[in-house]
Order: sequence, then structure tokens, then C-alpha cells
Amino acid sequence: MIKIPAKVLLVDDEEDFVEMLSLRLKELGEKVSVAYSGQEGLDTLENTHIDVVILDIKMPGMDGIQTLREIKKRFPLVEVIMLTGHGSTETAVEGMKLGAFDYLLKPADFSDLSTKLEGARKRKDEQEERIRKAEAKLLVRRSGGFFSDRFV
Amino acid sequence: MKNIRLLIVDDEDDFRKTLAKRLTKKGIVPEQAENGRKALSILENKPIDIVVLDVKMPGMNGIEVLNHIKKKYPKTEVIFLTGHAATQDGVEGIKTGAFDYLSKPIEFEHLFGKINQAYEKIEREEEKSREAEFRKRMEEQMVTTEKLASLGTLAAGVAHEINNPLAIINESAGWLKLILNKEEMAGIPRKQDLEKGLDKIEKGIDRARRITHQLLGFAKKDDPIFAEVNLRELVDEAVHLVNREAANKDVEIMREMDPDKSIVWSDPYLLRQVFINLLTNGIYATGAGGTITIRLEAVGGEINLTVRDSGKGIPKENLKKIFEPFFTTKPPGEGTGLGLFVTRGIIEKLGGTIAVESRLGQGASFTIKLPKYRKIKENQDQDERIRFLDHLANQSKSVP
Repeated sequence: MIKIPAKVLLVDDEEDFVEMLSLRLKELGEKVSVAYSGQEGLDTLENTHIDVVILDIKMPGMDGIQTLREIKKRFPLVEVIMLTGHGSTETAVEGMKLGAFDYLLKPADFSDLSTKLEGARKRKDEQEERIRKAEAKLLVRRSGGFFSDRFV
Repeated sequence: MKNIRLLIVDDEDDFRKTLAKRLTKKGIVPEQAENGRKALSILENKPIDIVVLDVKMPGMNGIEVLNHIKKKYPKTEVIFLTGHAATQDGVEGIKTGAFDYLSKPIEFEHLFGKINQAYEKIEREEEKSREAEFRKRMEEQMVTTEKLASLGTLAAGVAHEINNPLAIINESAGWLKLILNKEEMAGIPRKQDLEKGLDKIEKGIDRARRITHQLLGFAKKDDPIFAEVNLRELVDEAVHLVNREAANKDVEIMREMDPDKSIVWSDPYLLRQVFINLLTNGIYATGAGGTITIRLEAVGGEINLTVRDSGKGIPKENLKKIFEPFFTTKPPGEGTGLGLFVTRGIIEKLGGTIAVESRLGQGASFTIKLPKYRKIKENQDQDERIRFLDHLANQSKSVP
């Protein structure tokens, strides 16, 4: 089966980390964008189609939680995986309550990361699929069932 | 009437007996001795607050007896009885450490007043030394608490800082490995050496990660985070951490655990700390060749976990105190006296209980009962620090 690349955005102020993780993900065939601050991440989301954001919690300026709130407000369908130090697990839990898909402890185990990345992307696909179907139904109802064979 | 423990030492039987009778009427039942030697043997066997001591006695005289008393029982007060107009004896007595002297013939009320004064002095001294001891303990506790807190902060900070470069190494190694596994790299020379090196790097990262995560786990003081916990794995991990200590003391750690019943809904990091605390205590208490047994069983909706050691046991008078903060039997500087206090705090936070059973010479056994699922009483989310302050308040109240 051919792997469908996930469009990943990596947001972390630690530049070397961003570089190496993005190289690794690209090597596996993912499409990776990078940002070094929360604001930069939001700007990227504005211009680029992204499935999953991998978001560091501890960043100077706009921190991960603030960024997450903004992402969920402006791009509700984009899935977010939080990156956290062990001591800030609470923050990660808070993040999940705010709508993050999951969290990872830094340094992350790569198979964990892959699993969660895949899960996040799948959730986004399914959500989009549901929205498409719902829209289709709506359309059917409006058109009085005229196109019903073709859409449902 | 205060319960004054009094001893009258006088070779004049009539005088002594009359005095004893009158004191008894006043509510003080005195011990009696007709000579110095007898007096000392009474002191040997019974705690005495005040000695009324005649100077002139055959055999050992009053000054000698006084010397003995002051050397061996410095807290005991002595009232000297001197012969008529023998002020010299009285002065010498006071120099040697007597509370005061009275010249014979004595007036009973006068002596009774002196006895009371001497007793008040004893009470004052006791209070002073209790206060001093309390203050000293408090100061030590503060130092320890501060030390622990700053150590925790430092450890957490270091661990956090190390995690970032560690993550970079981790991703770099992973990336190199991916490249190495590409088809175009199949034929490169010494590929196995490169793989071996990368493998070691990854193992090293894993080890370092475990350490930093543990450090951060220890430093954590937050509310419990509930998750599915496999107690058996957690116990294994704790045993692994203390194993070296146990091996050094030649103590064997045994596990009797039902693998099917070890899943609870609780906080793994807090529980791990509890296990480590209990195991460390057990190892400390157990001599070479001893054993520590960890037993896990499910009883109804609860999990019972028992840590039993074959060590020296806990004396009865200490059993009630061991969960108090800063209570320790270890030499100063070795124990913080916080282990079991923290342990109990954690267990209660998790909705469980901890109990201890022990008899001197027969080891000790700590039993933790944990609910399988979350069940926290409302009054238990009280801050541990508040409880600690309450504890201190109660303690200072009990000091008169």
C-alpha cells in the first residue's frame, strides 16, 4: 500500500530539534513545514494546508497552550500533538482538554510519534469525511432529493 | 496537688517519720532513707524530683550524697537540712548545687514552701529544655525542607535542560538510521559498524531519557494524574531502582504478585515514589541475609499491597509516630524523616490507606489499600502543606 504523506507542521523554538525531526519525517515521506514560534506557526497555517501540528509547549513569547487555543479557534480541523517535558504533563492534559489530539514526552520515542501522527491524521480525515457527507445530505434535502442517487 | 516525687534522707527516725506523715497529709507521699547509701539505691530505681537531705549522717554524709546526686541526676533538686546555726554546711551545700538549705529545727510550712519552689524550678527547667529541643528540631526541619525543595527544583531544572539536547541527538540518530536503511545505501562499506554505533547511541539516549524522566517525576509535587497503572510493572521498576542498595546489604527482595489483578486506576509516578520509599526503609531496617517481600492481592474493589521486611522491627512507642513528618530513627543527616509522611500523604491523595504492623525483632509490614478505581473523598483534596502546618500547630500546643 502506498503511504499517503501527512502534511505536518513542526513548531518549536529549538532549531536543531526542528531541523532533525523534520529531516527524519521527510525521510519517511511526510510533507513537513517548520516554524520556530507560535506566531510563525499560525502564519504558516494561514498559507499552507496542514493536517497535523506537532507543537512544543515551552516556547518564549506565545507558548504552546496559547498557540493551541488560536489554532483550534481559527483552524478547528487541524489536529495538534503537544510536545512536553515530563514535568509539564499537567499542561499536556490541559492541552488535550482544549482539543489537542495527544501529547508526547520529549525526547519522544519515534514509534510513539509515528503512531500518534498516524492517529491524528486519520482523525482529521474521518472528520473531513463526515463533514463532506453531512454537506452532501444537506444538499440533498435542499434539492428535494433530486440528486439523491448520486450523493448518498 | 502536683505529683511531686520526694525522698527524705535523715538518720533521725522520729524526725523523718513525722515529716513523712505531715507531707502525706499534704498529698506528697515521700520515699524514705535513713542513710546516704540507701538514698542512692532508691534514686537508682525510682525517678525522684526532690530530695530533702540531712547533712549530718553517719557513714556517707550529706555533702557526699549531694555530690553523687548532682553528678548522676542533674535534674533532681536537693533541699539541705543543716544543724542549728551550721550556716557553713548550708553554704557549702548551695555551692555544690543544692536548691536551698534550712536550719534545724525546721518549720514545716517553711519546708513545704521550699519544696514547692524547688518543684516549680524543675518545671521551669523542663519547659525550657522542651522549648529548646522543639526549636532546635524546628530549625533542623526547616533546613531539611528547604534543602529538599531546592534539590528538587535543581534536579527538575537540570533534567528539563538535558531533555532538549537529548531530543536533538535522538532525532539525529533516528534520521541517520533511516538514511542507512535506504536502498541506495545497501552496498556501502562498513555499514554494520555504522549501524552498531547508531544502535549504541539510541540505547544511550533511552537510558538518559529514563533518568531525566525519573528525576522530573521525583520533583513533581502536583495533584495526582490518574491513569491506568500496572502495579506489577511499577513494583518491578521500583525494585530495579533500589536493587543495588539491596544487593550491597545482601537483602533479597521477593515478589508474590498476581499478574491478573495488578491493574488499578491511579497515579503511576506517585505510586512509584511510595514503593521506593517503602523498599528503601525496608532495606535500611533489614540486616544481611534478610528478605523483603512484596505481596499484591485483590480484595473486593481494593488492591492490597504489602511490603514486609525481616528487619529489626519498630518499637511500640514509635509505631504511632512513624508517619509524622521529620520523625526518624536514623542518625542525623541520614534520614529526612519525610519518607513515610510523604508516603501517607500520597496514598491518602490517591484515596487509599496505609497501615503498619510490627513487633520488635520480628520485622515490619506496611499494607497499602488502594481503590481499583478513582474514589477521592472531598475533604482529602486539602493541601498537604496545610496539613503540615496543622501538625506543627498541634505540636506546639502540646508543649505546655
